Amino acid sequence: MNRRYTIIRNVVFAWMTLMILAAFLLNIPRINILEHTARNLYFHVPMWFTMMAAVLVSAWHSVRHLQTGSVESDIRALQSARVATLFGLLGLATGILWSKFTWYVGTDVWWNFDPRQTMAAVQLLIYGAYFVLRSSFDEPVRRGRIAAVYNLFAMVTVPFLLYILPRQQASLHPGADGNPAFDEITHPVMRFVFYPAVVGFIGLFWVLYTQRVRMARIQNRLTANPEL
Amino acid sequence: MTTRAHRSSAVADWLHGARAVLMKELRLEWRSRHAINLLLMFVLSSLLLVVFALGSDPAEPPLQAALLWIVIVFSAAVGLGRSFLAEEEQGTMLLLQVNVPGSQVLAGKLAFNVLLIASVIGVSVLAFMGLLGMQVHHGGLLVATLGLGTLGLAGATTLLGALIAKASARGPLLPVLLFPMLSPLFLSAVRATRAALGEGATWAGSASELTALVGFAGAVNTAAFLLFEYVWTD
Repeated sequence: MNRRYTIIRNVVFAWMTLMILAAFLLNIPRINILEHTARNLYFHVPMWFTMMAAVLVSAWHSVRHLQTGSVESDIRALQSARVATLFGLLGLATGILWSKFTWYVGTDVWWNFDPRQTMAAVQLLIYGAYFVLRSSFDEPVRRGRIAAVYNLFAMVTVPFLLYILPRQQASLHPGADGNPAFDEITHPVMRFVFYPAVVGFIGLFWVLYTQRVRMARIQNRLTANPEL
Repeated sequence: MTTRAHRSSAVADWLHGARAVLMKELRLEWRSRHAINLLLMFVLSSLLLVVFALGSDPAEPPLQAALLWIVIVFSAAVGLGRSFLAEEEQGTMLLLQVNVPGSQVLAGKLAFNVLLIASVIGVSVLAFMGLLGMQVHHGGLLVATLGLGTLGLAGATTLLGALIAKASARGPLLPVLLFPMLSPLFLSAVRATRAALGEGATWAGSASELTALVGFAGAVNTAAFLLFEYVWTD
């Protein structure tokens, strides 16, 4: 178990190192306005994919926890939500910087309520509320159950934003109407780094997540058994 | 024949239980009038603050719609957290658990919260019309928006009220839990209200907002009924 973890962790670290080197060193086509900020594609977009994956993992373990009541799935739901928050904050930060130096260059705009930005902010607020809710319980069994219910209940409302927000405000973000996220003009060099970057970031999620899960398990055992 | 009769009596039993919970809530409320007084005072005092803040300048419809929904959502967050907390405090939770199945309890409490929110909304709209000079150009659209908003808001606050009743450190938890998940309802409701207050409002013009509100109310209430058992049978 530990040996497999170590091997995968080392592979992920080597993979990420190569990917970061490739991201900064390989030559990319210069597009007006975007210029070298296009390299952010390798970081910003995989961070979001990773966050979505982590959100799904967290929701899945909340469902499992309600079905079985096992402590393990509660730990997994919580730790996955924590790592999702980390990747969400990183994705938000890289997105804000990217937009500041492309769309809003020469203005004072840092935050423009772009639909995707708003959705990310709402999902992060829900996780904030989830952590606050957890901290207001003393008893672990009840805490796990109630937190799982809130995690699922709040998540039901997020997909509505996909329908509502684009009608509120037109988006500059790629992937909106008439602005494909990724099309045939995206240079092969960029695809060559981008897809491995997605795999690398999801691998990084796996490393952080399993590490936190094992640590939480040990912490649980210690609180249950102080003599250990 | 027998199965059909059986089924209809099961539905009747369910409705009977839900109505019993609703009647109990109404009776308790009638004795103390605590929740409704709290809510009305909250609405009136926050309206007073709004009027002071705006001064003598007339507010435009977009601002009126935003302020109306802020008052509604905040008063729901302040006033509706108590529905399950009171059971826990008075030690009547067990009695209810033994006598009535969970879904009937939720239905009764939900119906009670719908009534409370509807009265809050009614008072706020009248006060906005009287104090802020709010003019309604499309009454039907406004009523539909407020009604759908009431259903969504009631579904969310009722289940969250059941969650926070179990917490050991209570404090003002309900607003923290409620506001992030209410953003779809808030966005659509404010837009539809703004349309109803402006000139030339049509049903077709606000169709997408109304669809979103219907979907939100449906999803939240369905999720509430699915998840309530896990909160209730502790």
